[in-house]
Amino acid sequence: MSSMEEREIELLIGPQHPASGHMRLVAKVDGDVVVELRPNIGYVHRSVEKLAEVKKYLQIIPLVERPSLADTTANNLAYVMAVEKLLGIDPPERAKYLRTLLAEINRIHSHLYGLGIHGVMIGSSTAYMWCFGDREPFLELAQELTGARLTYSYIIPGGVRRDLPAGFGERAERVLRYMENRMKDYFDLYFNNPVVRARLEGVGVLSRDDAIRLGVTGPNLRASGVAYDVRRAEPYAAYPELEFDVVTEQAGDSFARVMVRVREIVESMRIIRQVLRKIPEGPILHENYEKLIPPKLREEMKRRGMVKFPSVFANLRVPAGEAISRVEGGRGEVVFHIVSDGKLSPYRMRMVTPSFRNVILFEHLTRGVRVADIPAIYGSLDYFPPEADR
Amino acid sequence: MTLMYPDEVQDLPDGYRGMIEYDWDSCIKCSLCAMVCPADAMKMYVSKEESEREGKTVKRPGINYTRCIFCGFCVDICPTDSLRFTKVHDVAYYTYEEQIYPPVEFSKGVPKPFYFREPKRVRVILDERRGIKYEPVGES
Repeated sequence: MSSMEEREIELLIGPQHPASGHMRLVAKVDGDVVVELRPNIGYVHRSVEKLAEVKKYLQIIPLVERPSLADTTANNLAYVMAVEKLLGIDPPERAKYLRTLLAEINRIHSHLYGLGIHGVMIGSSTAYMWCFGDREPFLELAQELTGARLTYSYIIPGGVRRDLPAGFGERAERVLRYMENRMKDYFDLYFNNPVVRARLEGVGVLSRDDAIRLGVTGPNLRASGVAYDVRRAEPYAAYPELEFDVVTEQAGDSFARVMVRVREIVESMRIIRQVLRKIPEGPILHENYEKLIPPKLREEMKRRGMVKFPSVFANLRVPAGEAISRVEGGRGEVVFHIVSDGKLSPYRMRMVTPSFRNVILFEHLTRGVRVADIPAIYGSLDYFPPEADR
Repeated sequence: MTLMYPDEVQDLPDGYRGMIEYDWDSCIKCSLCAMVCPADAMKMYVSKEESEREGKTVKRPGINYTRCIFCGFCVDICPTDSLRFTKVHDVAYYTYEEQIYPPVEFSKGVPKPFYFREPKRVRVILDERRGIKYEPVGES
């Protein structure tokens, strides 16, 4: 064969569901060197934006959780924060801490999900089993707090739905101690494994300048040495009162991206401990709404630690205006933009999910790598297809 | 770590958002549950007998479990606690129609899950050394 064009062939990878979501990649390869790799994304979350225009404000809460099932709290929190900005209310302190608590539990199990998927992609079934097994204690904690395993719908305008169950702190502490011990095993078996290192180090390097230029968010950005975290840049919930470090790595390769997630798990555990120690007493629903609940029911609600919605929540009217909220989710920055015209549904809602901003990396990082490196890079991005589809 | 379902069944925490039970007597027919339902699973049905007796249209809630997403908003908005969470979530049906519960059927309580053998009830213990452990209920 003479010219370069004839040497290249198109290789369709997927659609398959070996790991996360329904991913279809269209690769152009020359031998086993990737010339171009284009992710072929679908249309999941455009429907969410459109459907939000006909749903009422409270009904959108379970809806926005759907695009990113591994990281529902971030979307839930970002949406509710935007609605709260329009309503002009601020949740009580205790509710803020409970929001932070769930967000961090969610971050840990979302990262473990990503690490597990990455493990199986580069051929380590053990890492997959371990990560998914160790996700379970955190899912149990979240289930105890909210009543559901994944789609929590826990955060509502003006507060949260449930108070801390009795003995939660003690059980959470046990889980955290377990996870800390477990981390050593992970390093022994997986992160310090020469095979894993060889597959990840120096593969898919994203330079600091490129990361900024491409608008990458979350752990993928921090792995390139940019200490940008919405929790610090624009603090929300209880984060201003908590101590934590913004984890960064300098290398920008696949291994650095994995290490950022691992170190973030440790950081999240630190935050959970602080939340459980510092959490103030008090109401978990804003007084404007609490006083609308009949007195007898209010007493019952406080006794059980389960919030009853005031009847206005069925037809929550939000003043006309615009609001934007930003939240640091497990995969990066989640942005909600709501335009309200004072009716029962938003006039327009726009959600920007982190995977959508990170999908651009596929084309950028895979140019010139080997075909075998595709899963190593794909997994290290912690990419969640339904979150990116539009 | 592994739960040997359906031989072992996990005891769920209080406040678990499972299938919903409906108390006919305490319901004040305010229709808030149907109004808040995000998935249009909860709907108000005309109660014929009551309508004839009272001489006006009386509506009561019914649920369609093919649509329900178990968010629990209906339970949380119910001002009289007529709707309550149960810990039942593992029920199988032969047809779609069976999963639609008009008010009268809805008030009869949630179906009992079917097991070939009586399952062993276990509860989750969060252990410091082993993570999750399942322990038979009744032992401490």
